[in-house]
Amino acid sequence: MATTITAPPVKNIHEKQRESGFYRVTHSYFFQKIWKALFTAWVVVTLTFFLIRLLPSNPVELFIQDLMVQYGMPYHEAQDQAAALFSIDLNQPLWGQYLDYMWGLLHGDMGTSILSPGTPVTSIIMRFLPWTIFSVGIALMISFTLGIILGLFMAYRREGLLDHILTVMASILSSIPNYILGILLIIFLGVRWGLISVASMRGTLSPGVEPGFTLEFFKDALYHAALPILTYVLTTIGSWMLTMKSSTIGVLEEDYVTVAKAKGLKEGRITSSYVGRNASLPMFTLLTIAIGFVVGGSVLIETIFQYQGIGYILLQSVNKRDYTVMQGVFLVITLAVIIANFFADILYSWLDPRIKLGKQE
Amino acid sequence: MSNESQLIWKHEAGSGTPLSLRNVHIIYGARKGDVQAVRGVDLDLRAGESIALIGESGSGKTTLGLGIVRLLVKSADISQGEIIYRRNGTEVNVLDLDKKELREFRWKECSMVFQSALNAFNPVLRVWDQMRDTAQSHGWKDKKAIRQRSLDLLGFVQLDAERVIDAYPHELSGGMRQRVLIALSLLLDPQVLILDEPTTALDILTQRTIIDLLRKLKEEQHFTMIFISHDLAIAAELADRIATMYAGRIVELGSADDIFYRPRHPYTLGLIRAVPKVVGGFQELFSIPGSPPDLIDLPSGCKFHPRCPYATDKCKTEEPDLVTVGREHEAACWHWREVEEELQTNPLHSV
Repeated sequence: MATTITAPPVKNIHEKQRESGFYRVTHSYFFQKIWKALFTAWVVVTLTFFLIRLLPSNPVELFIQDLMVQYGMPYHEAQDQAAALFSIDLNQPLWGQYLDYMWGLLHGDMGTSILSPGTPVTSIIMRFLPWTIFSVGIALMISFTLGIILGLFMAYRREGLLDHILTVMASILSSIPNYILGILLIIFLGVRWGLISVASMRGTLSPGVEPGFTLEFFKDALYHAALPILTYVLTTIGSWMLTMKSSTIGVLEEDYVTVAKAKGLKEGRITSSYVGRNASLPMFTLLTIAIGFVVGGSVLIETIFQYQGIGYILLQSVNKRDYTVMQGVFLVITLAVIIANFFADILYSWLDPRIKLGKQE
Repeated sequence: MSNESQLIWKHEAGSGTPLSLRNVHIIYGARKGDVQAVRGVDLDLRAGESIALIGESGSGKTTLGLGIVRLLVKSADISQGEIIYRRNGTEVNVLDLDKKELREFRWKECSMVFQSALNAFNPVLRVWDQMRDTAQSHGWKDKKAIRQRSLDLLGFVQLDAERVIDAYPHELSGGMRQRVLIALSLLLDPQVLILDEPTTALDILTQRTIIDLLRKLKEEQHFTMIFISHDLAIAAELADRIATMYAGRIVELGSADDIFYRPRHPYTLGLIRAVPKVVGGFQELFSIPGSPPDLIDLPSGCKFHPRCPYATDKCKTEEPDLVTVGREHEAACWHWREVEEELQTNPLHSV
């Protein structure tokens, strides 16, 4: 070593600030993440609160109309009955309702359903959300795993016959909207060919089956979730395959793969630790984003298959303008996306050592 | 570097020729036609010597290097010839090895240091994992022994072994990665080492440390090495013998001294004259006119004749073979005597 010049330690105010505990906490990676997440949640909650109140009509009006149509009640009678049933005061100014709602949220209270008075929104969500997580979660795992394996396979066999067939299939599948595929499945599998009994597959469980850690329960739950799962898998697997294929083709051309071959590594080791691991890195980011959209993406499918999950309940509450339930479901969707993104960052830094948490400016 | 003394080298720096290339032809299939990247190369690599392959880009040197370990891309084909590898009296043709034998041959018998060490490492694995999987793929079981040898080798290449071994590739500088790659290439104590432009991507000071390291490897450990380089200075410093390649053929082969002071092929002469000198003030740089030939549609006769100042009608029709022009010095030129005369009147290195 030649001469080294050491600068005298100069501390300005800025550096002193940096050393204080408060600064370190408020500028830590996790604090900033959480702060941003809370801000996002607040913006979304506020927007949905006002947006759903911009929908034409309101829950009381719709209920009154329902009574009039169904039972032939005169308007006044229906209005009285509605007023007796609903505790909600829709004449309160909007900002007052908003402050009430936010105050409740801060205390973890999402309010009660307007149309089923006395039922807390939390309990409605807790009842329906698990079914969505169950069906979409399984579908996502299947299509992600299969998609990665098939994509890897296609990249290794690129320009081969199987690659061409799979690529065309993947392109077609990924361009069919899931609700159309769902309807097609019902029409062909259920009605035209009569292969399955669509009617008995409706719902989340057969009558008489109780939730619990029994084989019977799991079999029945899978039986009822089979069609939604099949639809999700078929409509999402194509994009996993194509993304994985292009990612793998890129990695196969990397120098370190050639070096791995030159090192005389076993084929399996190269495919898993060198090609597969690097090619699947971007897939995990996409996966967490997909998890975020699990809840939101289930609305149409759950309605088509009459699968009582969170998407099904969202559509019901929109139709009846059940404001509090809608707010609750939207909040869950928002939180799912935010949490998934949060985990995407953590997962990615764990999978890819080049990305270190908290080191960015 | 107390670790160095513990390093054990198994290879014998004895005599013999561990590697012989016999009439090797390599062709790339392209849409326009076959690219004749290597056309009939004969070369004997003696134990303990280092040989440099020099030439312009596209002269076939890297293709030849990759061909020896059969790492060519799928579109390439070694259409003719033999690559004979010898160890302990047995000899095999590398081209006849099956998949498993080839995997075992690679790195253990013949390892390769690549041009782009920056991308030679798997970004998601630590240096240690990449050394371990290499050793384990070749049947090493004892993790402790692998780690000790890895540490010793990293120390040998003048790195802070304890720190580097648990680092991820992106945490190392370009020069450090190149040294790690060299250490890795020595892991299994191969008999032959191929270095493909080992210093090209590095700055001049880092180049120096790598060259010093390679020289140590050559002079102290007597490794048998093939250098692929377009940098004549590095070739001069590290090689015992130099082979000039042009259009997929060796056009001149001789000791480093012969090639640099007594070249007999106009192309070698052109290459040397094209190197600027640091001392001696400004001189007009010589450049070889024209560009390397189209390897799909090669010129007739001597492939260098369109660019050669000595070319005659004979050169346009007949391709010369290597002929002896001095002691252990061969050149493939009809007019090598004219080159010799030219050098007598106009010497290369006026000291």
